[in-house]
Formats: sequence, structure tokens, C-alpha cells
Amino acid sequence: MSHDEVADLLALDAVGVLEPSEREAMERHLATCEPCRATAAQYVDVAAMLPTALELVPPPARLRRNLMAQVYAEANATPALPWWRRLADAIPTGRAFTLVGAAAVVAAIALGIWGAGRGTQQGPVAYMVSGTTATGVLDVNSSGTQGVLTVTGLAPLPATEAYEVWLIPAHGSPKGVTFLSPGVNGGPWTAVMSGNMSLYKSIAATVEPAGGSPAPSNTEVLSGQLTES
Amino acid sequence: MHLSDDDIVRSISAHSPEGIEALYDRYGGLAHTVALRILSDRGAAEDVVQESFLAVWRRGSTFQAGRGSLRSWICTIVRNRAIDRLRGDRHRTRLDTPIEGETIEPAVSDPWAAVALELSGEEVRKALAELPIEQRQTIELAYYGGYSQSEIASVMEVPLGTVKGRVRIALDKLRASLADRMETPWQTQ
Repeated sequence: MSHDEVADLLALDAVGVLEPSEREAMERHLATCEPCRATAAQYVDVAAMLPTALELVPPPARLRRNLMAQVYAEANATPALPWWRRLADAIPTGRAFTLVGAAAVVAAIALGIWGAGRGTQQGPVAYMVSGTTATGVLDVNSSGTQGVLTVTGLAPLPATEAYEVWLIPAHGSPKGVTFLSPGVNGGPWTAVMSGNMSLYKSIAATVEPAGGSPAPSNTEVLSGQLTES
Repeated sequence: MHLSDDDIVRSISAHSPEGIEALYDRYGGLAHTVALRILSDRGAAEDVVQESFLAVWRRGSTFQAGRGSLRSWICTIVRNRAIDRLRGDRHRTRLDTPIEGETIEPAVSDPWAAVALELSGEEVRKALAELPIEQRQTIELAYYGGYSQSEIASVMEVPLGTVKGRVRIALDKLRASLADRMETPWQTQ
């Protein structure tokens, strides 16, 4: 198969219409032809420019929230990587593995293990939150990966609005993580969140349209610092 | 903190939730736009975007820098899943966007990554508009419509060989046009 014939197939593949019967020949050629692999990458990238011509339609905030809730839930259920895997991951790719570098990485991991061990011995932590009318507490588990927010004193909202909960890092934008749900028979409002709580400096809740907002509006109903007092 | 695409790839390969978060924050809007354009259904588009990013999370990144940019990789995953859904072919296994295994390579210097970041939608629209209409329609039927080569040939009432030729010529023209707009030297093949 000539380079020219392969280029036809690469272009078809880039826009997703390569037939299965054509793929084997194309892949066989690519396995031994560096110039055609470069051409393949170029066609793929040109095809990926096509969506740039579309008017961007931002996804609703709930999509990010649902996705990351699922990811963090699965992450928390996943066993930690073994030390040797973390050692391998910590080594910069493409660089020679020097003795000094190895020692530094091992030391860093050892400190990490020691630090993690200390962290797990601290037990759960409770942070106070408050607002004009609301008060509550955020209980974070011992590994700092899950939190339960319990709040009293919030007014009921119409169906078109929701209390959205935001975690706020020291640097960067607030992240909408969940919504407060009303308790039964006027009981406390609650929200469950997953994630690495140590990444965040404070927590807040605001009134947003049902479904959430990409950024908090100026309607804060409560806030609290995620630092131990 | 700004993460480069290389940083994001490394983070995903280390199975870090923050890697997926960064990938979504950078390309989630584009992914949603692609899925919505193909499916014309907000709920279905959201499902496809979530499934795509979860697949990357669960299987680990198999992004290979030599086969395109991170942007094109995630676009291809989303596009293929949306097309599969459009065709009602949820069980089809695509070979062109592997998300099994653990292969990972750091991104290398990629001129198209820069092009993608710097070119505006308006410039890409202009480049597309410069294509002869039959080439543009062929590309759109293929990329967004999920039509096969023979279906495109049938719809456009042209021989199959013409469809193959139009796709390649259109992409070559588009590449040259976009490179010109970037005013960067470009090596033609």
C-alpha cells in the first residue's frame, strides 16, 4: 500500500468513517511508517478542530458535579497504589534515574507514608459553619475524603432554586460540589460531599437556580473555615 | 494553578481524580458541544459526556501523543460515543480510540495544540466556509452525522471513491488554511 493510499485512509479515519475492512491495512502500514504516523496525527488534530467552529454550549453545572461525585466515590473505594507504583509514577518521564533523584523520591514517599499515617490517626474533624440565620457543622471523615454538612435555620426555597454548596481553595475558583437537601418535617438540611477536603480552605452555601450555577452568586447563606481551631 | 496538557495526562495516568477534574474543566465544554451537535438532545449529550470522562477515569489514560493532541483525543472519544448512541449501537467496540490498557506517553511539543488554543471559532468557521460546499458537506456528514462512506456516497449521489477523495482533500485544505491563519511555517507532506 502506497503512502498516498494510506493518506486517504488516514483522512477517513480522522473523521470517523474508516471501514473495519480498511483498518487492518492502515494499521499494518502505520506500524512501520513514521511519516504516515505523523500524517495521521495531523489529520486527527485537524478533524478535532471542526468542533471549534461550533458555538460553544457550556454544560450545566450538575454535569460536572455528578461526574466528579462519581469519580471521587470510586477513588475512595479504590485501594491505594503500592509504594513501588508511586515511586515509578514520581519519576519524571524521559529523564535518567539518578541515585540522588532516587533517594529524594524515596525520602518523599517515606515522608508521605508517615504523614498519611499521622493523618489517619487524627480521626474525624468537625468544622462550624454559620450565616445570618443558619448554623451548622461539617463533619469530615478521618481520611479527609468525605464530608457531611448539617444545617439548621435555612428558609424553604421554591422549586426553581436550591442551596448550592461550594468548596473554596486557597487559590482558584470555588467548586460547586453538592446541594443541601431539606430534612423531613422541618429537620436540618443535609448535604454529602466527596473529595480531598485538604485542598480547600473554606466552605459556603448560596442560593442558585435549581441545577446549579458554574460560579456562586452573591447570595451567601452560610460559610465556614476548613481549618482546625 | 494552571496545568499544562502534559500535567493533565500525567495526573490521569496516576489515576488522580484531580486529573479528570482538570481534563473536564479544560475540555468539558467542547465535549458537551460536540455531543450536543451530534445528538441534538441535551440529556443524551450529558450522558455521553459523563460516560466518556468516566471511561477515561476507570480505564486510565491511553493517550498517545504521537496520535494527536489531548484535545483531539477526548473529542474523538466523545464523538465516537455520541455516534454510537446515535446509531443505537452501544455495544460496538471502537478500535480507533482505545481506552483499555495503561499505555501513556507524555505529550510532546505539538504545533496543533497551539493552533487549537489560539484559533478562534470564527477563524475555523471561515476556514470551513472556504471549502467547496460538497467537501464541507462530506466532512460534516462524516464527523457529525455518523454516516458511513457508502451512506455518504448514496446521500450525495457520488461514487465511493469520490467520497474518499473529498475527505482527504478537505482536510488537507483545512490544515493549510488554519496553518496560514496562524502565520506559522508549516511542513506539507
